[in-house]
Amino acid sequence: MINTMQADGVLERYAIGGAVGATFYLEPVATLDVDVFVEFHTEPGSQIASPEPIFKFLHDRGCPMENEHVVIAGWPVRFLPAGSPLLQEALAAAVEKDVDGTPARVFTAEHIAAVALETGRAKDKARVLQFIEADALDLERLQEILSRHGLGGDWQQFERQFLKQR
Amino acid sequence: MKLDRTRVLERKRAFRRQLAALPIAEKLRMLDALRVRTLAIRRASISGATKKAVDQEAPPDR
Repeated sequence: MINTMQADGVLERYAIGGAVGATFYLEPVATLDVDVFVEFHTEPGSQIASPEPIFKFLHDRGCPMENEHVVIAGWPVRFLPAGSPLLQEALAAAVEKDVDGTPARVFTAEHIAAVALETGRAKDKARVLQFIEADALDLERLQEILSRHGLGGDWQQFERQFLKQR
Repeated sequence: MKLDRTRVLERKRAFRRQLAALPIAEKLRMLDALRVRTLAIRRASISGATKKAVDQEAPPDR
């Protein structure tokens, strides 16, 4: 459905992040919804990007709304704007994965970890630890991303808190 | 029976590696099952005694 929206020009590009994105690299990470980061299509003559065409497209195809989610194939999907330089980079660097013959764009493991570190809640830090324990990160690449986006201090704090006694 | 904590942890790590190596479609089906169970537990928890705690929990996963 989301690939169709992209092909129809409803959205510029998209990528799956969050817990479902992490599941592409780790063991299944329990979650209640799917986070899809998108670059919204800008209307001609307008500077404001609106998510309205996405909701209209999905509503017209019978996808119900549940609070801030749209339910697609039984899953609540949350469309989030790639509103920070880190998210924009993550979107541009996203990789295509095959899901039972359907292509899906997914954030790289390093970008998922960087976004989690930036978000900074306990469960986000737990996710970064999962990536490290699973040896699923290119740590050099992660460091580059973190320093590009001013997250070096957050990483040092994370290291002090969780990695020093390992 | 003697509990060997190191072996238990190693078996857990091995199981997680096994799960991580599954095809993504299978992992997504597992996620779906996990979500259904989580919702069932959450619904069961929303009784008079626990409602306040549930209301105060963190926003959905990102």
